[in-house]
This record gives sequence, C-alpha cells and structure tokens, in this order.
Amino acid sequence: MIPPQFDYVRATSVEHALELLAEHGDDAKLLAGGHSLLPMMKIRLANPAVLIDIARIPDLSYVRDEGGTLAIGALTKHAMVASDPLVALNAPLLAHSAAQVGDPQIRNRGTIGGSLVHGDPAADLPMAVVALGVTLVVVGPSGRREVPVEDFFEGYFQTAVGEDELLVEIRVPSRPGVGWGYQKFVRRANDWAIVGVAAVGAGADAQVALGNMGNKALRASATEAALAAGASIADAAALADEGTEPQADMHADAEFRRHLVKVLTRRALESAAS
Amino acid sequence: MSEADPMRLNGRAIPGEPAPGQCLRTYLRENGAFGVKKGCDAGDCGACTVHVDGAPVHSCLYPAARAAGREVTTIEGLSGADGALAPMQQRFLDAQGFQCGFCTAGMIMTAAALDDEQMADLPRALKGNLCRCTGYRAVGDAICGIRHVEPAPAGDTVGRAVGAPAGPAVVTGSARYTLDIDVPGLLHMAVARSPHAHARIVSVDDSAALAVPGVRLVLTHLDAPKRHFSTARHEDWRDDPQDTLILDDVMRFVGQRAAAVVADSQGAAEAGARALAIEYAVLPAVIDPELAMVPGAPVIHPKDPATRISDPDRNIAAQVHGHLGDIEAGFAEATVIHEARYRAQRLQHAALETHCAIGWMDDGVLTVRSSTQTPFLTRRGLSEALGIPVERVRVLCERVGGGFGGKQEMLTEDLVALAVLRLGEPVKLELTREEQFVATTTRHPMVIDVRMGARADGTLSAMQLTVLSNTGAYGNHAGGVLFHGCGESIGVYRCANKKVDGHAVYTNTVPAGAFRGYGLSQVIFAVESAMDELARGLGLDPIEFRLRNVVRPGDPMVSTTDELDDVVYGSYGLDQCLNAVRTALGNRAADTAEAPDGWLVGAGTALAMIDTVPPNGHRGEARVSLAADGRFLLEIGTAEFGNGTTTVHAQLASTALGAAVGDIRIAQSDTTLVGHDTGAYGSTGTVVAGAATLQAATALRGTVEAAAAKLYGGPARLVEGVVLCDDRRIELSRLYADAAEAGIALSETGSNDGTPRSISFNVHGFRVAVDPATGEIRILRSVQAADAGRVMNPLQLRGQVEGGIAQAIGAALYEEVRLDDAGSVITRTFRGYHVPTFADIPPTDVFFAETHDSVGPLGAKSMSEAPFNPVPAALANAVRDATGVRFTRLPLARDAVWRGLAAAGVPDSQDRSLTPQDSTGEATQ
Ligand SMILES: Cc1cc2nc3c(=O)[nH]c(=O)nc-3n(C[C@H](O)[C@H](O)[C@H](O)COP(=O)(O)OP(=O)(O)OC[C@H]3O[C@@H](n4cnc5c(N)ncnc54)[C@H](O)[C@@H]3O)c2cc1C
Ligand code: FES
Ligand code: FES
Repeated sequence: MIPPQFDYVRATSVEHALELLAEHGDDAKLLAGGHSLLPMMKIRLANPAVLIDIARIPDLSYVRDEGGTLAIGALTKHAMVASDPLVALNAPLLAHSAAQVGDPQIRNRGTIGGSLVHGDPAADLPMAVVALGVTLVVVGPSGRREVPVEDFFEGYFQTAVGEDELLVEIRVPSRPGVGWGYQKFVRRANDWAIVGVAAVGAGADAQVALGNMGNKALRASATEAALAAGASIADAAALADEGTEPQADMHADAEFRRHLVKVLTRRALESAAS
Repeated sequence: MSEADPMRLNGRAIPGEPAPGQCLRTYLRENGAFGVKKGCDAGDCGACTVHVDGAPVHSCLYPAARAAGREVTTIEGLSGADGALAPMQQRFLDAQGFQCGFCTAGMIMTAAALDDEQMADLPRALKGNLCRCTGYRAVGDAICGIRHVEPAPAGDTVGRAVGAPAGPAVVTGSARYTLDIDVPGLLHMAVARSPHAHARIVSVDDSAALAVPGVRLVLTHLDAPKRHFSTARHEDWRDDPQDTLILDDVMRFVGQRAAAVVADSQGAAEAGARALAIEYAVLPAVIDPELAMVPGAPVIHPKDPATRISDPDRNIAAQVHGHLGDIEAGFAEATVIHEARYRAQRLQHAALETHCAIGWMDDGVLTVRSSTQTPFLTRRGLSEALGIPVERVRVLCERVGGGFGGKQEMLTEDLVALAVLRLGEPVKLELTREEQFVATTTRHPMVIDVRMGARADGTLSAMQLTVLSNTGAYGNHAGGVLFHGCGESIGVYRCANKKVDGHAVYTNTVPAGAFRGYGLSQVIFAVESAMDELARGLGLDPIEFRLRNVVRPGDPMVSTTDELDDVVYGSYGLDQCLNAVRTALGNRAADTAEAPDGWLVGAGTALAMIDTVPPNGHRGEARVSLAADGRFLLEIGTAEFGNGTTTVHAQLASTALGAAVGDIRIAQSDTTLVGHDTGAYGSTGTVVAGAATLQAATALRGTVEAAAAKLYGGPARLVEGVVLCDDRRIELSRLYADAAEAGIALSETGSNDGTPRSISFNVHGFRVAVDPATGEIRILRSVQAADAGRVMNPLQLRGQVEGGIAQAIGAALYEEVRLDDAGSVITRTFRGYHVPTFADIPPTDVFFAETHDSVGPLGAKSMSEAPFNPVPAALANAVRDATGVRFTRLPLARDAVWRGLAAAGVPDSQDRSLTPQDSTGEATQ
C-alpha cells in the first residue's frame, strides 16, 4: 500500500522541532524511528501532511547516570537500551524488555520515546516503565514539565504528550540488584504480548505492571496491595485481573486473558523474588 | 534528496529525489536494486532488509527522504566490485539456505550484520525475517557456515547434494522474479473490492476516479466478457465448476473484485480505486457451511447445469459418495468404535511473493508474465475467459516466490489481460499482503465426522467419513480437494467396509483452493486421530496398530470405489517409515528440548500416503538440444517455485548425457518453449516433468552418438562432455557445427502423461510437553520418515520435507484465517496471521526409506506436498498422550488447549497451584 503523500522536514534541534510543530499544527506528526507511525500511515490510521523528522536531533540519544536516577534520551534506540551497561545494572527489567521488542531491524530504528508516545497497551516498554515508576520529561511551547508515569498513559494510543509537545527524556529510578520478572505471553516469537507482566521488587515493595489488560499499561493494584498486606505470591497473583478490562480480539478472549494474567503475575513475582 | 546530500546506493551517489511519501524499498527498486523484495510492506517479514550505514533495517518502513546523506547497501552491493561473493552469500550457496529464494536477499542482509552474540542466538536474531519454504534449518546451517553442497562428477549427478542452478543468482539478488523487470511505460492497477459478503452492484460512478490525475482506465463488470471460467487451473477443465467471471455484477464474498483502476502510478491507481462510488444492493448471505445446504438458504450460484455445479439450489459445488462392503456389519463386528467430529481450519499459503502479473502486447500477442505454477493452463484460461485464440496468448514466468498450491489459480492474469487489451499498453497488478489474505484462495476448511471400528484382534472393521468442505464463494478445486481428501487417507488402510459421504458447499466467504496436500491434510488429521483412539481402546501401541492395518503390496488401495485405477505399488517403504519413527521416538536421549517441571509429556505419531501424480492425466514436455557452445539446452514447460525440481531436471539430464550439471542450461515455464505442459502442481516436478526430461535427454544421447558415428566413422560414445569415436575426442561444439552443416538436428523431445502412478509415504512422530497452566505446547522431539523412492538430491529432498513440516507446525499450532460473523477476513496482516519464525520451528530428524520406484524416473517418487500431511495429527496425538485430552479442532492454539484441559479437570489448569515457568521460552532473568 502506498502511504498518503506527505512532506518531509528535518528538525535540527528540539526548539526547531517545536517551531515546526507550531507552524504546521494538527497536520504534522513527529517521526522518530517510524516503526509505529509508518505502518499506521500505510493502513491510513494516520494521515499527516507533514512529517517532522526528529531522528537526527543531536543529544537526544543517551543513557546517563545521574546519581540515583538513570536519564534516557527519548531518541535512544531499543537496541541501545537493551545493550547499555548502565541500564543493565540499574534497571535490568528495562534492558530485558527493550530486547523483547520486535526484531533486530526494528530495534535498530525504533526509539524508546516513540514506543512510549505511541501508547500501545500491548507493547513491551510501556509496561516496563509503569512497573519501574519512571518520570517523563516533556517540552512544549510553555516550557518543560515532568509527568509521573501514572499520568502519562491515557488510553489506546493516547498519552499526556500534547500535539505541540515533545517527549525528551525518561527518568528511571536506579535500583541496582533489585529482583525483577518479565513475562510476555505470545503465540509465536516476534509478536506483541497477548498478555504481559512486568514486576520489580519483592514483598511489600513489589511493583507490578500489566500489558494488554486494558486500554493502557496498568498497575496490578490489587496484587500490590495484597503483597503489602503480607499475602503470599500465589494469593496475591490470583487478584491480578482485578480492576482490569481486557479486550477480546483475534488472539485471545477476555476470559483467557484474565486467567493468563494471574499465571503470569505469579511467575513474574516468583522470578522477582528469587 | 538535495544535491549536496545525496543517498549513496551501493557506493554510488543517487541523483534525484524520491517522491513525497515514498518508502526506501520502492525507491531502491526504481534505482535498479530489484534484490530488495516485498513480502508484506509492513515491517513483518524482512524480505526488504537493507543496510543503512551498516545497520539492517526494513526498507519498507523507512521514508526514502530520510536516507539523504546515508550509505545504503542492498544485496547487490554486498558482493565485491569484482563480483566475488561476500562470505555470507557464499555460505548461503554452500548450504543451499533457500528454496524459492524470495526471502534470501533479506535473510543474507540480516545475517551479514550479525555480531558474535547474535550469531549465538539465531532464533532471536532472525525474528524479523520470515521464510515460508525452508523451515529454517537450512538457513541456520548457512549462517553457521555448514557446507552441504557436494561436487558432482559429470554424468554422475543423481543422488548427490547438487546445488540449485539458480543459486548464484539467488544469493546475489540477481534472480529475477515476476516484477523484477523494467518495463518502459508500465501502468499500474489497483482493485476496488466488495465490502459485502453478498450483494449486487447497482451502479459504479467512476467520475471522481477518472478525475484523479494519472488515472487512465476504470474497468467494471460492464467491460468484462460474460464467459464463465474457474480460477482453478487443471489439465482437465471439467474438474471445476465454471462459475467465475473476470468482473461480476454479483459480489459473493467480502474482498471480491468489484472494479479495477489503471493509472500511471501505483499511488494514483489506489487513489482512483478509493474514489470509485459503487452502489450495492445487499443480498442475504450465508457464512456457515452447515447452514448453506439447509433449504431456504440464499442460493449463491443460481446457474444452469452446464456450469458443472453439482447442485446449485442447495449450494453444493461438488459431492462424493461411496460405499464398499457393508458399513453397519463392520460396526457390528467392532470391539471398539471411535466416533467424533473433527475440524480443520482455513489456512493461507502465505507464499512470500504475493500474486502478481505484468501484461503487454507483443506483436499482436497478449503476453503475460506472471507468478504462476501453471503457465500453459493459465494461457488456456486467458484464452477461454477473454475469447481469444490460444495462439495469440503467451504466458511466462521467471522465478516464482513460493506457491504451495496458491498459484495453481488464475487470480491476477485475467484482469491484467483485460486492461492490456483495452489500452494496448503494459499493465501491472501486484496484490498487497492484505489482498492476499482477503482475496486469494485458502485451504478448504472442513468438518469431518469420523466413525471407525476395530476388532479385538487389532484389525479395522469399518471406516466411515462424512465430510463437509467449505469451498467459499467459488468452486475452484472444490471437487478435486474433496475427492482427494477422502482418497489416500483411508485408501492406505486395509478394511473391507468403508463409507464416504462428502459435500463441498458454497458459502459467502473467501474462496478456498488448492493447498499443499490437496484435501489430505484435513482428512488425515481426522482419520489419524481416530486411529490413535482405536489403538488406545484396544490397548495397542498406535504404531503396532497401524502396522497391522496398512495396505501391503498386492492389497487393493480403495476408498470410495473399487473400480480399477492406474495407481500401482511402484515401491513400498511404509513399514520402513513406521519402524524408523518408532525407533527414533524410543530414544529419549535424542530429544532436542527438555520438558520444564510440571509440564505434561507425551508422544504421538501419524502416517500419510499420497499418489505420486494427480488423477486424470498430467502432461510434461521437455526438449533437450545440443547448443553451439557444446553445452546442452533443456527447455521445459513446468515452473520452478522453490520446490527444487529444476535442480533435479538438470541432474537427470546431465546423468543421461554424461555431462556436468553446469553444462545443462535451462529455459523453463514459457508457453513458447514446448507444446503443452500441465505445470507444477500435484507434486509432479520430478515424476512427470522429470520423466519427460530423462526421456528427451536419453534420446538425445542416442542421436548425438549416431550423428558422431555418421560424421566421423566408428562407434561413438558420449562421455564427460566429449564424443569418443574410437580413440578420437570430438568436442561437442565441433560436433554441433559439423552436424549443422550436414543438416542433422541434435534436439530431442520427451513427454510424460503422468500414468501409471505410484504412491509415496510420510510418517511423523512428536514428543511434546504441554503447560497445563497456559496451554503452551513445546516440541521436544520431531521426526519424520519419508518414502520418496530413490533420492535424487538428498539436500533438496530434506529441504522439501523440512519446509512442509514447518508449514504444518504453523497450521497445527496457530495459523488460521479468521472471519468475523459477516464473513470478512480479520487476519489481514502477518501481525494477525502468524507464520512461524526461526524461533518457532524445532529441528526435525528426517529419515528416508530405501526404496526404488518402478514407475518414476530412475526410481524416484514425488515428495513436495506430502510432508505436511501427517504433522497436525501427530501433534494432536502427542498432546492426547501427554494430557489425556483429545483435541478435535485445529489449530491447537494455547487458549483452546488450556480451555480443553480445564474442562477436563486436568490438574494445574486452574489458577492455583502453578509452577513458575517462563512462558515464552525466553530467559526471564
Ligand atoms: C514488525 C514490527 C514488530 C514490532 N514488534 C514490537 C514488539 O514486539 N513490542 C513492542 O513493544 N513494539 C513493537 N513494535 C513497535 C516498535 O517498538 C516501534 O519502534 C515503536 O513502538 C515506535 O518507536 P518509533 O521510534 O519507531 O516511533 P515512531 O513510529 O516514529 O513514532 C510513534 C509515534 O510517537 C510519536 N513520537 C515519536 N517520538 C516522539 C517524541 N520524542 N515526542 C513526541 N512524540 C513522539 C510519533 O509522532 C508517532 O505518533 C513493532 C513494530 C513493527 C513494525
Ligand atoms: S516488506 Fe518490509 S518487512 Fe516485509
Ligand atoms: S526460500 Fe524463504 S520464502 Fe522461499
């Protein structure tokens, strides 16, 4: 399929990108790796008249240790997040989940920022960052703001990043040595999760996020509350589907998803605890 | 792309700019890099992989404008400037890591960029590259540098691991598939498709479409001849109901062609198709095959009997009934009876190259270059559908990127031809992957009621099948698939009482068609599951039970009729196959994976028999000639779509002529080459076309030797590329020249009519582990034994077997074309329709029976569809053994398995008391 025609402009800096966004308004879309946007355009779910290429903006691709916090530039590619030693040390869950995204070609192009702003509830990185409790740095016409991840994902393909804004950084609390578990249930290798579970920490400290159990990546609040109250992993995991609204689609119905999320939560918590 | 900052393609700056919105993939092809392929256009298949500044990317998802200032390398640029192969290209050649080769350029580009860590974990590193043909073992061997090709001395090439003649072209990206040519002035076609399952077109307003800049022509049903045909291509046209028009005013499935638009560019053609205003009068539709025969159901083809529809008023496209012996007496004798309803799903071939064709006029001859398995039958189809004499039509194809039965069908050529005849200019139609899913043919979904009985002594007493096959909106292959499915599946068993009742019914759904196995894979799933249950009921080992009941040479092979046919025991290796699988499964130390704790383990087997040639005749024609340069030219009608027959043809000819494989040049699949050739279907590449080749080459040897004797005196012998006359060595180029002067023709033809036919066998065995908590199935061991007669080329034969198994594992575990209640296909991408990746296919041990066939050329039998057939049943039988639960519906998807286990109360399938396991097979920490 031929995507709709579009004009292509290359932003040279964050400020330039913001200017271009202001100039073209609703007609424009930012292009990072393009690995979510171009497929959407080919099936005409997105029809931007102008693509603002931000991939070559210098200084948005980095991983920095800022003492207790890992700062990751929004244009950092999945391949780099997966292999960066700082990420492996301070947020191994994030490194692992980035390595689960698609295939090597996709990881060479796709960016962490693109994946998060795309806001697909079945994707890998959203559930990882929810479990990790990250903060997202967004810049726009009125300056820079920090958004806690709880407020970031709003619904299917909806995030707190406005049409005139840019996500520039992801700030991850460093937790070297903390246990984690990651469960991505797929039918075949190289797929999005039918259900995914990411867990960090154990017992009362555990943070558990669920992928594809609703219109955005969710926290397993009932499970976390039960663990905080001293419940066993098995008992807590059995509550994992509370408050979720899984969809039925061609891959699984809601009942199977509700069952799976309990099994996978238990498995993720077991590995986080071991 | 600005002058200052051009893209560099394979080291050379590319002037000019891509069109707005253009992807790198099409831009590279426009600049001559035809090695960059399209399998999906959505990032799912990897066929378009190129390097941008050294890193592999999917070029279909890369805006061309973005490549400014970058160095882009395609497969063409991987080899050195002197043409020397890059190491990874050489490895793919040495291991023959390809079949059709359509995925190969992308595979090589991905593989060439792997670092050591990725090399150590190929299943993950190759996630983004699909191959539908090989089953990945050969790909993995290639990447790891394992060499399989062996040298073949002149005249002694049969039985050796000879590489495919096209190999060097495949690994360098210079192999030309259908669309890999530059046609000046080429116009592009896009098709508007029906959104309704059943509707009549009231009107088509094309004014907005014609106003789109670049649009040249709109075709509707008013432009198409009212000549009915079948998209199915068969030697005997009477095999299929003639129920199809190039463009019809009645839409019978969602996705049917409603109109077509031709334009200067693909973008304009698609915009034109979107701009058509088509008014439909919606008609009542029937989606469920079980309702289609019910009186009062909407009649889908109210047509007269001349169309050869079996019973139009009841939506029955074809039916089969047969009763041998006395079925009820058979059941009365039985100690154990198994009765169940089995369902085999709708599958897509998912060949990586979508259907496509380019047509043009060449001196008054309509010429169509197409991705087809059957050039001659497609020529005949075009002639019939368009009402033009066959002499004025030429159909040819070059390399075909996978077929699996899906290209034994005329799905693009007729529409292209109609446009070419109207415009007199060249026109191209390339289906998108989505069109491939919604509008090309599928495997026939079947509901199979099985009732079988066995006596206490372990012999079968009754076999009864009631089959409902869903042929979809058109009857192409409806009858053939139904008859064949009910044929060898029960013909392989000795049983006096057999009864078959089968119907192929029309529904308002995407048409089914020929699919690897041609009906057998569906029915064998049911019959072999039932055999397993009977063995269990009798307390017998399932292989032992089969050994007691399979036909042996001399036994009649009967299913629906005991009339004599032309199938003979040319050779028989079924017992060898069963024993080989039994021995292999008995050796647990050879398992290739371990069962995680808490998973349930079991083993299962199934067998399959197949006639080596389809019934009703199959013609192959070949001509072998001595050429001026002293080499030989083999001209052959049949097509090569990755099944390796070309290699076998070269081996057969070189063996007969005492030549080296490289001295056989091959021209194939072009209706101008030979008189008639049925084409590449029904596994006939070796046994029919190969037999014709052998006959021609053998005759030519005689002719060459006689000519030499006459010209130079003395007895003459053709050896290793020269003629020996007494002790003189005559170069073949000299013989050619002297013979030409003397007016002696050095060219012979051979032909074969595909009769009599023999039988070949496949037995598959699995050991599996099943996770009761999630329904996941893990294959611990996979073995297949095949009886293909004398093995012509062990490397290629193994590749065929592995490829069939991989496709069948996908079918057994997750592949399914799914429809919504309105009959619309919802699995429209590779994101929805899962094709196995490297990581999903376990290694299979392949054994060959030692037999020598009396019918096939040099003792060979066919083996290209058959390896698929026993696999789903073997898997279901292994799951049954592991869990105690019989699954009667394909695929054995995880949700279905979990649900089945939970319903049966299998421990651990409920939420509690689970064991922690990583569910994806990937490291959890
Ligand atoms: C075949 C295939 C398989 C895949 N498999 C997986 C998988 O298994 N798991 C998974 O998680 N993902 C998967 N993906 C998606 C992949 O991870 C994408 O790369 C990613 O989701 C998007 O990143 P991108 O940089 O390509 O974003 P783009 O496509 O460039 O952009 C996505 C959206 O975000 C916006 N955007 C991008 N960057 C910014 C920014 N900095 N600020 C504001 N807005 C921005 C864009 O305007 C656009 O709307 C797959 C993709 C493909 C094609
Ligand atoms: S064509 Fe690009 S990935 Fe399939
Ligand atoms: S060889 Fe890989 S798709 Fe045909």
